[in-house]
Amino acid sequence: MSDNRDEKLETLLRSRRVAPANPDFAQRIILKARQTPQIKTPPFWQSVRDLFGEFHLPKPAYVLASALVLGVVIGFSAPQNTNLAVDDGGVSIQGFLSADEALL
Amino acid sequence: MATAWPEKDDHELLALIQDGNGQAFATLVERHTERFYRLAYRYLQSKAAAEDVVQDAFLKLWENPAIWQPERNSKFTTWFYRVVVNLCLDLRKRKVPVTLDEEIPLIDDREPVDEAMVKFQEQKALEKEIAALPERQRTALNLCFDEGLSNQEAAAVMGVKLKALQSLVMRAKTTLKERMKAYL
Repeated sequence: MSDNRDEKLETLLRSRRVAPANPDFAQRIILKARQTPQIKTPPFWQSVRDLFGEFHLPKPAYVLASALVLGVVIGFSAPQNTNLAVDDGGVSIQGFLSADEALL
Repeated sequence: MATAWPEKDDHELLALIQDGNGQAFATLVERHTERFYRLAYRYLQSKAAAEDVVQDAFLKLWENPAIWQPERNSKFTTWFYRVVVNLCLDLRKRKVPVTLDEEIPLIDDREPVDEAMVKFQEQKALEKEIAALPERQRTALNLCFDEGLSNQEAAAVMGVKLKALQSLVMRAKTTLKERMKAYL
């Protein structure tokens, strides 16, 4: 009984009808394409991919290079003047610490 | 001697299309329009909508042939089926559920009228139930029952393993069997 139903469903699925397309359908697409200019400049990401493709580097090399670039950027963006004693208010860290010790 | 256009394979034609060759595009369109139209029709159940989708897909390829990347896709038809399926799904999301096309020649002249009417009702019910299936099950069913597409190819179009595809088809058939009880 179930086999019969399976078979009938299969037959139904295989006999789904499709209305035929217009006979000139393919020609219509071709004609439309003739009026459509092609995009000659590759998209931005395509260019980037091509550029990276030129180097043929393995993936870890990109990770390493990215880490180096990030390191350099962070290094340059950190404050250059690291002298902790200079403060506009005139209170140095050492002075602050020694004031605490005096209390003890 | 140069190969005649119909003898060139899809990949050769696509390489030429990327160089702006219109004849290569025409050959590709003539070769594959019918099969992609059939698939789109099964999704949309409308001749006009199916033609629009296939035309859109081909024109997108012509306009920007760089969307075809041979290094990422092994077979043109597998990739293009995916493009057509996605366009069909987009269209369905934007529109109300489609009804059975009026133009479809549902009744065969050689059949007795009552038999033909029963077939018509069966088909109408089947299309309605297929349209109500979850998206992935519907896609699996449409691809697997499309002539000339093996299960392996259908799985590649959907980007799933063969077993997953078979499971989707099985679930779709179980649901259909249940909902089509009156006709089976």
